[in-house]
Amino acid sequence: MVTAHSTSRIGLLTGHSLAALMRERTVALLGLLFLILVIVSAYLGWSATSTVNAIYLRSAEYMSAQGQTLPPNPVLDTSPLALLRNMATYVSLIGALAAIVIGHQLMSAERKAGTMPLLGSRPMRPADLGIAKSLALIVAIAALVIFAALINTATFLALPEFRLDAIGWLKLAAFYGASGLYLLVFGFLGLWFGASAKSETVGLLIPVTIWLTLTFVLPQITSNINPVAALNPVSALAEPPASAFFQITGWALGSLSLAEAYRIISAQLLDFLPANYIDRAAIPAAVSLFVAALGFAGLAARAIGRMDMTKGDYDA
Amino acid sequence: MSTFVVQTSHLTKRYGDHIAVKDLSLNVEKGEVFGFLGHNGAGKTTTIHMLTTLLKPTSGTALVCGKSITTDSLEARRHIGYVPENVRLYDTMSARSNLRFFAKLSGVEDADRRIDETLEFLDCRDLAPRLVGSFSKGLRQRIGLAQAILHRPDVLFLDEPTSGLDPMGIKTLRDLIVRLNREFRTTIFMNTHLISEISRTCTSIGVLNQGELVFRDTIEKVTARYGSESSLEELYLSVTPVQTQGAA
Amino acid sequence: MRELIQPVLTIAGKDIRDALKDRFILLMTAFLLVASLVALTVAAIALKADVATYIEAKAGLIALGKDAASIPDPAFYPLKLLRGFVEHVEIIGAIIGILIGYRAAASERGRQTLALIVTRPIAQWQFLAGKVLAGTAIISAGLIIAFIVAGIAVTVISGVALSVDDIGRLAIVMSAAGLYAVAFFLLGFVCALWARKLPNALLLAFTVWLSFVLIAPQIGDTLDPDNQVAGGVFKQLQIAKPQQIEILQSFSTYETIRNGIEVASPTKHFERLSFAVLGIKDTYAGQPLMPILAEKSSDLVWLLAIALALSLLLFVRRLDPNRLSKE
Repeated sequence: MVTAHSTSRIGLLTGHSLAALMRERTVALLGLLFLILVIVSAYLGWSATSTVNAIYLRSAEYMSAQGQTLPPNPVLDTSPLALLRNMATYVSLIGALAAIVIGHQLMSAERKAGTMPLLGSRPMRPADLGIAKSLALIVAIAALVIFAALINTATFLALPEFRLDAIGWLKLAAFYGASGLYLLVFGFLGLWFGASAKSETVGLLIPVTIWLTLTFVLPQITSNINPVAALNPVSALAEPPASAFFQITGWALGSLSLAEAYRIISAQLLDFLPANYIDRAAIPAAVSLFVAALGFAGLAARAIGRMDMTKGDYDA
Repeated sequence: MSTFVVQTSHLTKRYGDHIAVKDLSLNVEKGEVFGFLGHNGAGKTTTIHMLTTLLKPTSGTALVCGKSITTDSLEARRHIGYVPENVRLYDTMSARSNLRFFAKLSGVEDADRRIDETLEFLDCRDLAPRLVGSFSKGLRQRIGLAQAILHRPDVLFLDEPTSGLDPMGIKTLRDLIVRLNREFRTTIFMNTHLISEISRTCTSIGVLNQGELVFRDTIEKVTARYGSESSLEELYLSVTPVQTQGAA
Repeated sequence: MRELIQPVLTIAGKDIRDALKDRFILLMTAFLLVASLVALTVAAIALKADVATYIEAKAGLIALGKDAASIPDPAFYPLKLLRGFVEHVEIIGAIIGILIGYRAAASERGRQTLALIVTRPIAQWQFLAGKVLAGTAIISAGLIIAFIVAGIAVTVISGVALSVDDIGRLAIVMSAAGLYAVAFFLLGFVCALWARKLPNALLLAFTVWLSFVLIAPQIGDTLDPDNQVAGGVFKQLQIAKPQQIEILQSFSTYETIRNGIEVASPTKHFERLSFAVLGIKDTYAGQPLMPILAEKSSDLVWLLAIALALSLLLFVRRLDPNRLSKE
């Protein structure tokens, strides 16, 4: 009886949180930008691949006129899935930022509404609010990922020259699973600081700083990837210099370098991982992402459980 | 079974060196309209926060409708309604949507019917479809009261309910509190620093000074002993000699 | 004249004191410094690995009987180590600009003190100029510290003292970085001054930042056919540079669009200018400064134009009294 009541309360809170989230224009703006980039990413992949192909054909003409032997066409080496390689970058840029904002908004909207004392004096278990907010986060991120997947599926169906076999479709599905997991890491980060920060701005800026560190600073230490190169799905997978330093940092910090972990998984699933690439991290990439998502979920739940329910709004 | 709706024993709340509520032992009987009087910062809000389970006491115990606020807080919350000072609701939702949400959280089965009854009782049915964000302070307070009584709680905690209201708003709210107590037999626990409010609404009072309960009696006895409202004011000033301002 | 300037200075002075108390601005500046030092250290370690490979290869060649004098010495330009640093300034410098701009307006809106200021006998432009002056001063101070630290780090790491020419180049890049960060300061300030809801201003500014600092250059970079194949498409096809240029001529429309996307981003202008002046881009390494500046002056003009356009936007529009409060 109690369990049934709790379940319905959690369902109610989750639905309420999602409805409030949908009313937020900034969340809608970021979500829209992400979906536009999903379309752009497919176009970029198609356009760049076509251009490389055209350059090859043009070079081939030139080389056969010179009587040189023709190297193989690099385009033929690439899998149709690699058409979407930019998705990996956009998920880790705008997707992650959108996830932070969604997580943060789920708590800040509640705090700003000033209704925490009214919720706190209702017959709910202390964990119910945390569970409901986490569920709302998972649903919102799943929606974002499913939209992206639908757009990409339509792209593949519309471009007959990039035909996927059954394994290709499975790998694509797995890529969206991994992307969802990566976004959850940042969503829970946003939720955690949305609940624990004293001011709304700080609650947003701390997760952004952590995201900056993961995206731009750690790859530099572990693999000598400069910030701008970290944005290019191909350049970001360049071999680090043959030095003991990068072997050690790659091993020790590689597991914390979540942006790299996600990039490696994406490159494997979308068939653009260079054949000779070695993941030097001590913990497998997928494990790192799982541990991070679970860890941040735990920290978010703890922060929500410890919130000051007597307060209506932020201090500042 | 005990007729006490609120029972506290040596209830204490400390913030570092500062003692907000000190050794509070207080009983409020079923059906009372209890006025909790004190200066700003005397510890009234902290007491209400503890009794509504929003804040854990440092030491001591408290029962609300026989349920411990610490070890059985979930059960305690089934019996209470709470209107914070300057109550806030979801501005972007209509009054009805707000009330439906809180009714369901409180486990009310037939929420819409109960909302209609409650709004009828508070004489504000026309507010239901309107956005809460467009409400004046008085109207917001009315819906704030509605959310607290939807589930027909045994005890209603009101923190400075008339704060910021105009004279008309104060009168309306006062009448509602009295009606609520008479018609539903709801026990009222009300924080205030206005003596006029106490004398017109309450059946008993307690005075808190610097976190300590310095006076407790029924209004009947007080007026029998001291007479008019101005004498009540003298009584209040005599039991709260130190004028300190601080955090509640 | 003094009457015109005094209120501006008063507002600027108060704002600088206020901003220095803002933990987050200090934290982000410290973050930029740490990230920069990491970039420099990592670049030095990577360079050491390259040098080791070179020495090993040289020894191998000598062992094979090759004359040591015929093996060319690698050219070493210490300023090249600054690549990661410049890229961090592009990304984090812009964020710091936005945060300082946001704070300049938010501090008044949050405390509801804007109404108290604008009801004093000062013109709107004086209020805004005071804020812009303070923002520029804070940004300049942060960048001066960052560039001094970077300069010292390069000297210590490479063991080569910077020449007067090198310091001059650093100063030019620092000024461009200042202009670049001030443009983002204006963006943050305008958003926070005008947004209906204050926290939305920060998100809006971040969205613009994401689009122009990360996404536009990323699209330009990704569309570059040479970045599509590991190691470069021409390298894989083993086609020499002159032929590459000839082949690429048939793709001029594609290249124009690609370049157009990059040009839309102030970040790319700052990057092109800095990479040329510091010789980070190979074609400019070791080249004299003046011709580089002449070639890249358009990038500087772009940065100036963006900052000026935003200033114009700021000063022309009247302050809306409905925006004077927090919400």
